[in-house]
Amino acid sequence: MSSFEPVLTKHIHEEDCHTLAFYRSVGGYKALEKVLSMKPDEVIDTVKASNLRGRGGAGFPAGVKWSFIPNDSDKPTYLINNADESEPGTFKDRLLINKTPHQMMEGMIIASYAIGCNLAFIYIRGEFYKETCLLEAVLAEAYDANLLGKGILGSDYDLDVVIHRGAGAYICGEETGLIESLEGKRGWPRIKPPFPAVEGYLKCPTVVNNVETLCNLPHIFNQGPEWFRSIGPEQGPGPKLYCVSGCVNSPDVFEEPMGVPLKDLIYDRAGGIRNGNELKAVFPGGSSSAILTAEEAMNVNMDFDSLINIKSMLGSAGIIVMDEKVDMVQACLNIARFYEHESCGQCTPCREGTTWLVKMLIRMINGGGTERDIEMIYEITDNIGGLIDFSQGSFGKTICPFGEAVAWPVRSFVEKFKDEFLSYMPNLEVVA
Amino acid sequence: MSNNGAPKQSFSFADPDKVQNILSQYPDKQSALLPLLHLAQSEEGYISSAVIDTISEIVDCHQALVMDCVSFYTMLYTKPHGRHIIQVCQTLSCSLNGADGLVDHVTAKCGIKPGETTDDNRFTLMKVECLGSCGTAPVVQVNNDYHESLTLEEFEKLLESLK
Amino acid sequence: MPIVKIDDTDFTVEKGTSVLQAALANDIEIPHYCYHPALEIVGSCRMCLVKVEGMPKLQVSCNTFVGDVPSDKKIDGKYDMVVSTQDELVQQEQKNMLEFLLLNHPLDCPVCDQAGECDLQDYAFKYGNAHSRFEEDKRVRPNEYLGSQIVINHNRCILCSRCVRFTREISGSSELFVEARGYNSKISVLEEKPLDNLLAGNVADICPVGALLSTDYIHKNRIWNLDKQPSICQDCSVGCNVDVFHQKDQILRLTPRENHSVNKFFMCDKGRYGFHRFEEIERLTVPMIMSEGGFIETTWDEAIEKTVDELNGAGKGIAGIASPFHTNEANFMLGRLVNGNVGTLPPITSEEINYPSGFRISGDRSPNRHGMNDVCPSIVDDFASAVERKDIRFLYLLDDGIDRELNELWKGMLEKIDFVVVQSYAMTDVSKCADIVLPGQAPFEREGTITNDMGRVQWLRPSVTTKGESRPDWEIPMLIQSKHAGVEGLTDVSSVMNEMGKDFAAYSDITFFRLGDQGLPLNGKAEE
Repeated sequence: MSSFEPVLTKHIHEEDCHTLAFYRSVGGYKALEKVLSMKPDEVIDTVKASNLRGRGGAGFPAGVKWSFIPNDSDKPTYLINNADESEPGTFKDRLLINKTPHQMMEGMIIASYAIGCNLAFIYIRGEFYKETCLLEAVLAEAYDANLLGKGILGSDYDLDVVIHRGAGAYICGEETGLIESLEGKRGWPRIKPPFPAVEGYLKCPTVVNNVETLCNLPHIFNQGPEWFRSIGPEQGPGPKLYCVSGCVNSPDVFEEPMGVPLKDLIYDRAGGIRNGNELKAVFPGGSSSAILTAEEAMNVNMDFDSLINIKSMLGSAGIIVMDEKVDMVQACLNIARFYEHESCGQCTPCREGTTWLVKMLIRMINGGGTERDIEMIYEITDNIGGLIDFSQGSFGKTICPFGEAVAWPVRSFVEKFKDEFLSYMPNLEVVA
Repeated sequence: MSNNGAPKQSFSFADPDKVQNILSQYPDKQSALLPLLHLAQSEEGYISSAVIDTISEIVDCHQALVMDCVSFYTMLYTKPHGRHIIQVCQTLSCSLNGADGLVDHVTAKCGIKPGETTDDNRFTLMKVECLGSCGTAPVVQVNNDYHESLTLEEFEKLLESLK
Repeated sequence: MPIVKIDDTDFTVEKGTSVLQAALANDIEIPHYCYHPALEIVGSCRMCLVKVEGMPKLQVSCNTFVGDVPSDKKIDGKYDMVVSTQDELVQQEQKNMLEFLLLNHPLDCPVCDQAGECDLQDYAFKYGNAHSRFEEDKRVRPNEYLGSQIVINHNRCILCSRCVRFTREISGSSELFVEARGYNSKISVLEEKPLDNLLAGNVADICPVGALLSTDYIHKNRIWNLDKQPSICQDCSVGCNVDVFHQKDQILRLTPRENHSVNKFFMCDKGRYGFHRFEEIERLTVPMIMSEGGFIETTWDEAIEKTVDELNGAGKGIAGIASPFHTNEANFMLGRLVNGNVGTLPPITSEEINYPSGFRISGDRSPNRHGMNDVCPSIVDDFASAVERKDIRFLYLLDDGIDRELNELWKGMLEKIDFVVVQSYAMTDVSKCADIVLPGQAPFEREGTITNDMGRVQWLRPSVTTKGESRPDWEIPMLIQSKHAGVEGLTDVSSVMNEMGKDFAAYSDITFFRLGDQGLPLNGKAEE
């Protein structure tokens, strides 16, 4: 079992861990006190020094993102906490909200202070009703304790936080789709430039950070950026929440350093494959990542670079485990259908291509496939999202990364489990 | 969450203070659109054209813009549903853990397919995409509440308890 | 200014110009659907991808802007940006996008009104594949009315959202919206809020495919059968630039023609469908003299002789009615004929409409009041009392050609005058008061200049030929005047413009050549 002492989830099994009193009893809001005595630039520099990379999926360095906020703007600046957790296989932010909401709140206040924001939002997915109610109580506690509102903790810094519920749209987890949604519109991602740091919510400078990213902030200030960097690989350090689900004995959220072997997560932390079955395939970073074969999964470490090296990605670290009993064609269709349902419909390749894939897969499952369809799926996925290895500059075919998010998993299913697809085809001798 | 008879010709929020409170939180009116739609749906059960009229006036934008938004989001309903909306997550982790069996169970027991409502208006069955609770698959959301790691027996009991 | 190299050619462009704008301005085609110069950029059709040197992936040219690069970072020591529209990867992407767009498109070009002017058809031909690889069922939806004059064929729609943005950004009426999402997305309208604003017709024009159709033109003809004539809308004093599509002297439709000084890209439906007014009116094509039993037809020679006789007999008691519906040249010749003794009929007005986008519909329904006042400077307001005072016995009336009822004051006045000549193309209430009617041209038969309410002179070109024995409106008073004065007549409308320029300095430099397609501001008067 792991020797790593959890940072973000250290107290989640303790009674009343969601309350302000509890959080304060374990050193909560000390980092905020420290931050309020620093200049915003120093706060940004500290986060840059920690090399904290975003935990929402893209892995962009948080401090760098903050530094894009223009200094000379006369418009207000906004922070949005992206709690629209909806990547299949991912359920870590919900845990953080339920168990350590004040840790998240402290992170939000620190981030808001750093970027000069006086009004911040928590964009929480609409289905998280219970969590919304909890956060409302948490906000009330924070206002009562002068952690929010005017002159926070005796400083001259003011901050209000508003909880904003989504209404059922995966794409609103994409930051510009989220901003549109917050503005009371359909969540169609925006073309960039301009980037949100320059023109985001209401055309004002805006930073969107994920819940887990924000939860890391208090610890960086309590224990220093050097401490943070010492955990896991240099290129993307820190503690990390891994969600393991699917065909395992003990699905759950596990905190380990960045770079933990995937094998350890599946076999140690999650108790191995259910019913003693064999491992077949794994989504390492949510359903948008390319799936790994059992062999790949047994040999890869869970960090940004290691996964890119085998043409997948860390993404949201939503690990979905599939065992030998899983029909990979059906699993592929399940995922393709998810993306068909969630495609916003704005860009041509994604709107038309995603449904094309679903229709083809259904035809194949019904016995109407031909070998040519395999090649077609490769081509269609390439045309929606480009090649997984970025080799030919053929990625980025859609406004937002949704195109890649459809293309990569679907292509990887077919590529890595081609025989299963062929076995659905009539009059075709499958060479074993 | 009930709606009997013909749709009302007009809609007004039960508590105008709530509306004002929502509006006061945002720097502009249209940002209040989703919260107002949620509030209206919690009162009416769905987003009727009367709701759209009222909200478009409050946030000061054309009804078509409100409808544009409403039609985009799966949680906003433009038609009335049953008292208990059974939303079975069908995405991969839930599917690998028996979600299909739950759907079939409702169909067998209540005679409704996904998208349908029982004649007594008790249940509406829906297949939904990932509810973000994959670690406790299979998960079913009934109205606002999550029911996690459901066995068929537990699900059966749950349905029984929903009157 | 930055220098951008597109394919093999260098262009100097304003900083912040998009690659697409730079290319289009220089006649380099980059296929595109969602981009429209009047609308906000959304970058969603993905058709305008180009390769930009130094960028890791293809870029949408509509949202890639040429900036000022520091001199040490210029490409080849010279360029701020280097773009390829012909790169192999670009060509492949164009094929891919067209394949996606055509998956669910019905390919009903044989019966589609857009055929021949369809960006999907044209780009598919130029950039697409010849065959389809799609074996699945197509998405099929029935047509719907979006408003009383716009139908949508959903199957042809490529969801570029131009029409939705138009109603939000230009008409400000916001009726259109995208309903649902993803594959199920469709352009929609609320039943109780149909697309019935005065700019609605424009959505059919900006639709790059045959999805949005004007019921006025639907299934009427094939576009390649029609001739197109650039002209000016004559339905209000703004003077939107238009193309008139016609066949065998019949007008089938009007579409707006881009002019950044006059309502830019669009026109209103009053103007768009206004040409139908002339179809219903009782047309005059031969001169007619009032006799006891009513009007009887006569020849031009007799009509002119009779008019000149009456003119001679009237001595100084002659006057004219100029018309803001007629060209500067017709009004100028009228003014000359009646020695500048001119009045005009009461104006025809409606509510002025100003859209937030700057689009304007004037309250003055006449296209040339500004020009009429310029070339007939002595127009008197209270014409009726001037008639009394000056003992007017001969009146030459240039008819507005609008079917309207004259008030009692005007009717009484016309009855009192011994001899009334009405030059008109239609048997209007005014024509009925005439002693002699001289047939002129209908609005789209006329040639000359008109001056809009901002003082912009524009070239009104004839779209259809003059009917019957009708004559150009400048020519008729000219013939009478030259015969009356015993001088040689002017031979064409250009020579009238020349004469007009001598009398009115503001018009001295105006020639058709100089006016071109876009017109010219009057000397220092127009707001550019």
